[in-house]
Amino acid sequence: MMQYLLLQAIFLPLLLSPVAYILGKRSGPNAATWFSFGIMAYCTAIVILASTSGNYGEHYPWTQQFGEFGLVLDGLSTPFAIIIYVVSTLVVLFSKPYMVAKLTAQYQEKANSQKQVVGEGQTTMVESASLKSYVNQQVGIYYALYLVMAMGMLGAVLATNLIEFYIFFEFMLIPAFFMIALWGYELKRRVALLFFFWTHVGAVALLLGFLAIGLYSGSFNYADIHESAIPHSILVLAAIGIIIGLGVKMAAFVIHVWLPHTYRAAPTPLNALSSGAMMGVGAYGFFRFLAMLLPAEFGHVALFLNLWGVATMLYGSIMALTQDDIRKFFAYSSISQMGYILFGIGSASALGLSGSELFFVSTSIGKVILFLMVGAIILQVGTRSITKMGGLAANMPITATCAMIGVLTLMGIPPTIGFMSEWTMFTGVLQTAIQEGSTIRVVSFALGLIATVITMAYSLWMMKRVFFGKLPEHLKNTKEASWYVTGPMMVLAGFSIVIGIYPDIFFNKIIPFMRGLVGV
Amino acid sequence: MDFSFLGFNIGSLNVWAVWILPFVGALVIPAAARVSKAGPGYVAVAFALVSAISAATLLPLALNNHEIHSQIPWIPSVGLKAGVLADPLAVLMANIVGWISFLIFVYSLGYMKGDRDLMRFFFWMAFFVGSMQLIVLSDNFLQLFFGWEGVGLASYALIGFWYRDKKKDHVGTEGRTVLGLLDYYSPTQSGMKSFIMTKVGDIMMLSGMFLIFAFAGTFGFKELASNTSWATAMSAHNLLIPAAILLFGGAVGKSAQFPLNEWLLEAMTGPTSVSALIHAATMVKAGVFLVARLGPLFFALAAAGLDMNQFFEVVAWVGAITAFLLATQGMVHTEIKKVLAYSTGSQIGYMMLALGVAGLSRQFVDGYTAGFFHLISHAMFKASLFMAAGSLLHVVGSRFMTDMGGLRRLMPKTYIFMWAAGLGLMGAPFISTGFWSKDAIFGAVYQSGSSWALPLFIIAAITAVMTTFYTTRLIGMVFFGNKSKHIEHLEKEGYHVHEASPVMWIPYGILAALTIGVGILGLAFEHQIHDIFTAYLASDFGIKSSVGAVATQSQNLLGGFLEGVNPLALSISLSAFAVGFVLGYIFYIGRFADPAKVVNSNIFFYAIHKFFLNRWYLDALINWTFVVGPLYVARGIYRYFEDKVMEGFNLVPEKTMAGGARIMQATQTGISQSYLYIFGAGILIVLLLLFI
Repeated sequence: MMQYLLLQAIFLPLLLSPVAYILGKRSGPNAATWFSFGIMAYCTAIVILASTSGNYGEHYPWTQQFGEFGLVLDGLSTPFAIIIYVVSTLVVLFSKPYMVAKLTAQYQEKANSQKQVVGEGQTTMVESASLKSYVNQQVGIYYALYLVMAMGMLGAVLATNLIEFYIFFEFMLIPAFFMIALWGYELKRRVALLFFFWTHVGAVALLLGFLAIGLYSGSFNYADIHESAIPHSILVLAAIGIIIGLGVKMAAFVIHVWLPHTYRAAPTPLNALSSGAMMGVGAYGFFRFLAMLLPAEFGHVALFLNLWGVATMLYGSIMALTQDDIRKFFAYSSISQMGYILFGIGSASALGLSGSELFFVSTSIGKVILFLMVGAIILQVGTRSITKMGGLAANMPITATCAMIGVLTLMGIPPTIGFMSEWTMFTGVLQTAIQEGSTIRVVSFALGLIATVITMAYSLWMMKRVFFGKLPEHLKNTKEASWYVTGPMMVLAGFSIVIGIYPDIFFNKIIPFMRGLVGV
Repeated sequence: MDFSFLGFNIGSLNVWAVWILPFVGALVIPAAARVSKAGPGYVAVAFALVSAISAATLLPLALNNHEIHSQIPWIPSVGLKAGVLADPLAVLMANIVGWISFLIFVYSLGYMKGDRDLMRFFFWMAFFVGSMQLIVLSDNFLQLFFGWEGVGLASYALIGFWYRDKKKDHVGTEGRTVLGLLDYYSPTQSGMKSFIMTKVGDIMMLSGMFLIFAFAGTFGFKELASNTSWATAMSAHNLLIPAAILLFGGAVGKSAQFPLNEWLLEAMTGPTSVSALIHAATMVKAGVFLVARLGPLFFALAAAGLDMNQFFEVVAWVGAITAFLLATQGMVHTEIKKVLAYSTGSQIGYMMLALGVAGLSRQFVDGYTAGFFHLISHAMFKASLFMAAGSLLHVVGSRFMTDMGGLRRLMPKTYIFMWAAGLGLMGAPFISTGFWSKDAIFGAVYQSGSSWALPLFIIAAITAVMTTFYTTRLIGMVFFGNKSKHIEHLEKEGYHVHEASPVMWIPYGILAALTIGVGILGLAFEHQIHDIFTAYLASDFGIKSSVGAVATQSQNLLGGFLEGVNPLALSISLSAFAVGFVLGYIFYIGRFADPAKVVNSNIFFYAIHKFFLNRWYLDALINWTFVVGPLYVARGIYRYFEDKVMEGFNLVPEKTMAGGARIMQATQTGISQSYLYIFGAGILIVLLLLFI
């Protein structure tokens, strides 16, 4: 039993996704939701169980050309794996009220447009019956896609082989494309294509990099890749391919352009997953492929990554200040947050890398809380324009409190996890700056700190405009969101504080690993 | 029970309890709110009391110059421990914080009665005190920073407590603009302003912390003091002074010192008990405490041959400038809490000045004691003044002193207590704590022997005049003269202006009585603190003070009653009080002259009045440079760069593909003839290629 833990965690969601579809179609959203929740909760539990036994790995024979099919939980992948699955499990619950509301609205829109063609004539009873079957079927599809996507994300993080990683990476992107195309807003088809185009530009760049590395070192297994075996010119090209590929996924400055559109059009659960889990795969890639597989090359580009990170932090947070659509606001905030991770990776010091990895856990918790808040507001209030909100704290106290904790996590205020990750990260950046005696790094450190102040400004300003101040007349009757929304928020808020006070839950894995990686 | 596995002995539990209990209280409060509506208040008071008592159990330690240092594992993978350090400095501070907070909590029971969010209020109050005690008792920077941001967070939550932004909760005069920006702040905006402004200080402090950590590999105060090789290494990189000044930046933010002083005025939007807490016991005192924590550490580096004078000069000057800057503005504003807020900033400036001067003089302990003594006396009288002001607001229903007037017969107790505490702020000779502590600061500055002593001393003296003046003005405007139109209007409507309830006046009564009571014993009290700190600084930091120095420099005034007091400092202090008081009396108590007429009598007075009223234009300039301006720029970048240039990255591939598709579509005409022509042309080309 102990042998196939990770295999189960990966493939159960994939294999059972048709069941989720059938359940949804036959018995409705409740059944599909709780079934998916059950699978995800079980898989999360076994990932956590596996992680408790130190470095845990499973290796299976695969094909001759590609190498083995392995799944490994080491100091690097464990935090990513756990947080990705925890988030995926919780977002299952939030998806239910959101998708039901969204699908009902979508059905009515469709029915209205058909009515204009066909003319009045259907009775309401028929309509409600067909509405029900429409919702059931679509929810079924949704959860099937959802489970496949979750599997893709976890698989990518646990993979031990470049090709394996790439396959899982694609498994993660395709469902997202369908989700946007099917249940997005406004120009959803166009945005879905935009998303597909950009992520595949990234994926292809990544794949080319992988192929270059794999072909020259004779194996795609991480364990068998030696940087020294690869000619330098190829190495540079491979590194560039990987950086571009992952940079697109993380929406770093200049190649972030797809993200605001996507976030604006995508359904909110997907936004939550994207910020809370999917972008993490990009971050993970930087650690695994650059810092670990190509350490010498990493040393060359570290400063560049650091500066790129700072630019992204500043740019994203400044853009967030100007947004009115609350989803676009968080899109830019996500961009900025991913910049922090690059900034930390670029420090190339053990503390900086560790902080940067914990920062992903932190931003994931914070962002998911905040996207659930966005979902709660869209569900309860029906508007996405920040200027039309205000004073909601009295009507939605739980949402407001959790959102505050989420915001504190983003700002890095103790006792949330945000502070723990930020102080280690910034210390690491400063240490490298002092060691190298590099003025540029000191400047970058200072700009990074300034970015935290801007982060604070946009976050608090958002809170003020959404939750505080006068309650507009049209929002007088707003009610608190359902438990499907507030429950996951509270769980995550709790995590944020517990890890913020006792970070060793993750640090005891991360820090030894990073020390081994960069020395010191 | 055996706690040895955690690495600390049971004897230190009372130290931990001091800061943990308020947090526990905060966690219990939501549950208590379910039991009864008044539950949160009583729970908060109970926990504050127990926390204060456990602080009091530590007092013998301080008196005997013992200390408790207890640690538990925290982040083993980085090698960090959490710990408490109860040395004399921390114990004294913990007691001030604990007891004054307790009184403020009791007062809040009355002041907040009937508010619909009592749970939230007391949760954050308890959280506030817990965070402050955490700052005081932490044995390392990182843990201290938890408390540091905790007080920032609590102040954000409490300043913006009335988040519905009703008109009566604003600060400033509606519609008044300075340099085109409104000088009128809502509670939520003020909360945000305070949090962000203090964060600017915090990032400086963080950089200082990280710099030291990068060299020392530890955050612990004890470790940093016992092995100073880190300082030598930093000094070799020219980083020691910058790191020290960056750390001081944190204190500048928290304590609202120039140039990060502007948040403190808007902090008045919170309930008055919050203001009392912020100004007397927590938050702004945190900055002073940090300097008191670090001052000896840096001063002791002199033994390692490192000159920290620049650091102490910065501290002293920032203090002096703030003291002066804020006192000038305190003289002209008409909102009672705002005047008190200006006075706080100004008095904190005095404390910084004393601590800075301490480092510049040979006799470190003199300035150190003076600064800390002033902290104690200020905590007492300012808490009292704020709570009394809260009663006034409560009764009169307006924050403007112009809406008060003639209240001395209507609210006799508040009147008396406000005089007592006010005398403390003015530094009334011989009877108030404020007098002795201010005098100690004057003495320390004057005797420091620093080259800056004279200008600093002059600034301090001028500030003292202004302090006495604005305090007299405050009391005069509120209690003397005729009733204002506002009160007459209230009475006409049948509202009876009455004394506040006992649960409110007793707490500030106690503190007012203490201000005078301790004041009468002022010198003895000061000598006691002086002795404690002399022993503490010598044993913990190796800072020796020549015991006889105080005695030799003083003369035998008034038959030994004034032993240890510098005569020049004393006489300046006395005349400052006299001048300020007489001026205040003429305009506001005796009302022999109309201040408005004097101000309008010539252009110079008018301009300077306006300049002070507009807050030296600092607030408006900060707003323009750091808020309004950058927002314009950000919007510009969004509109012209992000939405135009960057969007091109999306449009180019889209348009190329769409265009390509259109070309392909155009070729598929469906007319077989055109296909044949093209086919033929293709074959021709192939043939040609073959021939070539």
